[in-house]
Amino acid sequence: MNRLIDFIRSIYVPLLFIVIEVVALNYYASSTSYTKAKLLTASNHVMGGFHRTLSDIGDYFGLRRENDMLLTELASLHNRLEELTQLLPREDTGFEYTHGGEYSFTVASVINNSVTRQENFITIDKGERDGVRINMALVTPDMKMVGYVLDCSENFSIAISVLNREFRTGGKIKGKDYFGSLFWDSTSPDYITLSEIPKYADIEPGDTIVSGYSSIFPPDVLVGTVEDIRMTQSNYYEARVKLDTPMTRLGKLFVVNYADIQERMMLEEGLFDAPEN
Amino acid sequence: MLRVIEYTLFFLVVTVLQVFLFNNLNLGIYIHPLVYIAFIILLPMETLPVVVLGLGLLSGVIMDISTGSGGLYTITTVFTSFVRPYLLPLILGRDEVKEGGIPMPSRIGYGKFFRYAGIIVFLQCLIFFTFESLAFKYYYLTLLRILASSVVTVGLVFFTQMVLSGARDRSPSQTYQ
Repeated sequence: MNRLIDFIRSIYVPLLFIVIEVVALNYYASSTSYTKAKLLTASNHVMGGFHRTLSDIGDYFGLRRENDMLLTELASLHNRLEELTQLLPREDTGFEYTHGGEYSFTVASVINNSVTRQENFITIDKGERDGVRINMALVTPDMKMVGYVLDCSENFSIAISVLNREFRTGGKIKGKDYFGSLFWDSTSPDYITLSEIPKYADIEPGDTIVSGYSSIFPPDVLVGTVEDIRMTQSNYYEARVKLDTPMTRLGKLFVVNYADIQERMMLEEGLFDAPEN
Repeated sequence: MLRVIEYTLFFLVVTVLQVFLFNNLNLGIYIHPLVYIAFIILLPMETLPVVVLGLGLLSGVIMDISTGSGGLYTITTVFTSFVRPYLLPLILGRDEVKEGGIPMPSRIGYGKFFRYAGIIVFLQCLIFFTFESLAFKYYYLTLLRILASSVVTVGLVFFTQMVLSGARDRSPSQTYQ
């Protein structure tokens, strides 16, 4: 009997270790970006406030840069307003620029952003109460791609960053209308990959890549510039794209609401009934 | 009792530093310091293995919840906590471990401290970054990440132990030792 107790005493720590590791490994293996975002949303109820305070302090030091960016953006908007006003009939003065009425924008501040992990997430200070919903796009004020919302709590939202291995969206070569699939290969926070470009596509280094065929991002959101192209074994081009978004220095962002997203997604998923004749 | 309060405070400090400072520092994609492991490294040598394992679990779960890592920190920290009691006598010698005390340079010497902390931190980074990438396609980049992060983490653990030893020097209990 004593021997048995001694035996159990000698192995209970390794046994405990194995049990904990099996449970943790099992949980990790079954977790996805979505479940991780859920976990972050839950912890934000407690930590969101701290993150916001720290980010407020950080924001203070970034004011000059933000200000410069706002001035540039303001100037370009003025120019655009000027162009559009020229197009309107003279008596029609009360118009509002909302990107064709499909998209509307709201401003949010980044309060937590990682770039060193393989699955990076961004926490913003706007949540369901501010109208933020899952699958809304995040772009910089000068319309560069950042990520999209995965989960929201009342006051905060967690977004999947462009720098996340599970990030996927459509990309287009600007001005040439060839499409491909954008994803991050996790090798550098400065580069993203555009794959599945047809082999007859006219693509060359220096081409600009923008969003395209996406149910999340508005068209022509800037992604970056092609640096390097190679042909894959499956006869598609794969381009290494230098990201234009300063992912390590995100401050204010626009959350983009695509008014017709529900309708488009339902249609694409074939949930609409066939029209009756 | 004083020691428990001391370690609770130390645990809170390293956890807060990890979550709010080191996880937000953008030191490039290859450097992600895992400083919170200083708590496990600097636990007294006489701490029972099951207690070390329990504290490793607690620290891993807290890190997972606060960073949304889906079990990655738990897998890693529990492994390191399990290995520590076997590693200590190998590096420091059975007699030294029996005498107890905190494994910091003032007690075990700089050479042994860096060897001990270096191995623990390397194992920690090896498991953490391998499980994080779960791909062998770019394993040379993962290796680079493991090495760079290990070096930076060991340096930071060294500074962290200075904080703990500074606090102990000022505490009245130190006069009895």
